[in-house]
Amino acid sequence: MAKVKVKTFSVIRDVLGADIIEIEVAKPETVGRLFDTLARRYGQPFREKLWDPATGELAPFLIVLNETIIRSTTDMERAIRDGDEVAILFPIGGG
Amino acid sequence: MANGFKHGGYVGQILRVNLGNGGVSKEPLREDWAEDFVGGVGLSARILYEELPPKIDPLGPENKLVMMTGPLNGTMLPAASRSSVCAKSPYTGSFFHSIFGGYLGPELKYAGYDGLIVEGRADTPVYLWIDDDRVEIRDAGHLWGKDPFKTQKILREEIGDEEIHIATIGQAGERGLPYAMILCDIRAAGRGGMGAVMGSKNLKAIAVRGTGGVTVPNVLKLYNTALRLNQLFATSPAVQGLSGYGTPRNVAAMNEGGILPTRNWQTEVFKGMKDITGEVMREKVVKGNRACFACSINCTKYSVVSKGPYKSVINGADYETIYGFGSICEVDNIEVMCKADELCDEYGLDLISTALCIAWAMECYEKGIFTREDTGGIDLKFGNADGMLEMIRKIGEQEGLGVLLAKGTRAASAITGQGSERFAIQNKGMEWPGHTCRPFPAAAVGYATGPRGGSHHDIRPTAEKSGLVDRKTLEGKGALAAEVNHWLILCDSMLVCHLAEPIWGPLKISDNTIEALNVVTGWELNYEEARKLAERQWNMIRCFSAREGFTREDDRLPIRFMEEPVPEGPMKGSIIPRETLERLKDDYYTYRGWDLKTGNPTKQKLAELGLDFAIKDIC
Repeated sequence: MAKVKVKTFSVIRDVLGADIIEIEVAKPETVGRLFDTLARRYGQPFREKLWDPATGELAPFLIVLNETIIRSTTDMERAIRDGDEVAILFPIGGG
Repeated sequence: MANGFKHGGYVGQILRVNLGNGGVSKEPLREDWAEDFVGGVGLSARILYEELPPKIDPLGPENKLVMMTGPLNGTMLPAASRSSVCAKSPYTGSFFHSIFGGYLGPELKYAGYDGLIVEGRADTPVYLWIDDDRVEIRDAGHLWGKDPFKTQKILREEIGDEEIHIATIGQAGERGLPYAMILCDIRAAGRGGMGAVMGSKNLKAIAVRGTGGVTVPNVLKLYNTALRLNQLFATSPAVQGLSGYGTPRNVAAMNEGGILPTRNWQTEVFKGMKDITGEVMREKVVKGNRACFACSINCTKYSVVSKGPYKSVINGADYETIYGFGSICEVDNIEVMCKADELCDEYGLDLISTALCIAWAMECYEKGIFTREDTGGIDLKFGNADGMLEMIRKIGEQEGLGVLLAKGTRAASAITGQGSERFAIQNKGMEWPGHTCRPFPAAAVGYATGPRGGSHHDIRPTAEKSGLVDRKTLEGKGALAAEVNHWLILCDSMLVCHLAEPIWGPLKISDNTIEALNVVTGWELNYEEARKLAERQWNMIRCFSAREGFTREDDRLPIRFMEEPVPEGPMKGSIIPRETLERLKDDYYTYRGWDLKTGNPTKQKLAELGLDFAIKDIC
């Protein structure tokens, strides 16, 4: 079980209710498992912010894992460890 | 269809006004040009290529200002409210398109015109009053010197109609400042000095009232497409958040990702970020929303600072305001950003260029190139909010250092020298928006080769910024940039809003885009046909630039991005060295079928696209 901090912004923050939350991720302790855990805890309001309803797939976005940038499209098997910090960079468009 | 025009969505008529002789004429829209260039920017490029001789003075009477709608404007389709203003730019020296949202475009269609061409120069200040069929050139002596909002208020009272929609310039446009903008109700055709072109014609305002409609081949099909698109907008993860937070929704996330441009792009992490986020803006100043015509995205905010030194009322702030007057000048007070936005609107200044010019001056001051004497006594260090606001005023009033800064960073740094060119954040003369390219090769080559230089609407870094593609590889990035160009320019000819980019793009022209165009016009375009339309438009604009003398050498990046890596944060070390940029350009030109030496379209490419008429000019 890995306890990680998740930093959130904008509409994701609105769903999670805080700038930073702590969450425990069961084995296998991966980034993908973290998002599944978040989806279970926060339900449909969370899912609809990050999963594309047309395809059912996770939308493309960047994630900061301990100051390293990873991708939702390719890096969900990345291992996470107790004490890790994860920031969800909500799908970013231009202004 | 309307006026016997062959295709749906069009009125079939262009209004031409010659301010030199007072002539007003209504001309049929050429059906072949609508078929080949759609409308908006593409059609304007074709018209201006035909009608403007090369090398003219952009602020001379020979230049023409083209305000154009697209076939989707005025229908029930969402995000289709936009209109384009095009001319030869006094800022970049080539074809320029500046696009605004709101209501004016649909109103022009309802008045009975697909577009308006303004030519010549009035002897004295005038405004144009378009009331359906009735078109009048009226005296604007009493409006000259007034800010855009006062001008709009006076015109609504004078004409006696609160519902009219108005495009107007401020003092910056009247004075011909090269990055003057046009305020169109509450949205701006901000970039490239279109306000200066309008001012050079002594044209203070364009007021429009229309009572007509738009005809489409099948209203039920249109309704179903509109319904489906609205559902997509409401549920797309990348569009959500715009309604609640506006475009500043991403400020905090961008800072966390190390891509929030800061301190005149010396770094891309801002320590004062927490006080200028979309969340803070919503909590402290936002009072409501102001959606564009028929748009469910609802991104524009209405914000009020009710008291204190930064008392202001604005329609915003947008992300670019927060980038420009926040992180890029290291100011961490959202109320200051509102005041800066208001000042730019009142003077009629493009806020991105204004902010970047001030940030450049701050860096000159930091490096000892400018002294306190040069700044008129202002301690112009980064983070000096009041100094920044005073510099906006000096630019608008043309006082002291403001005279130099009003020329833009390319000209100002050429005059100033002392290495200041190295931190002038511009290419093709236009300052950069708040979307980095240092970690994103496709964005880099897109910015470098874009017709407008520092525009995030000739390329979108979104595919790399969202992780949709691998940002670290150079392979395929020329092709990606070209296909992003294509969905953007097709949208700019249809005049739909780029903020719905996951729906219209984001990697190439999407089925949604083609469906929206087909359902309005009655066309049955497939992907290849739609792509060819877009490619033709992009090449048309490139031909305009080539005829003006632009070559491969003009496809550059700001020096800082080629010489200074991002110094900190998750994107630390990111840079686009010169040799990398040249390799990316080769890749891009090759994919496009352009000449590697000149960067111009080849004879074969022009013939393939039906642009044979340009061969004699550029090949």
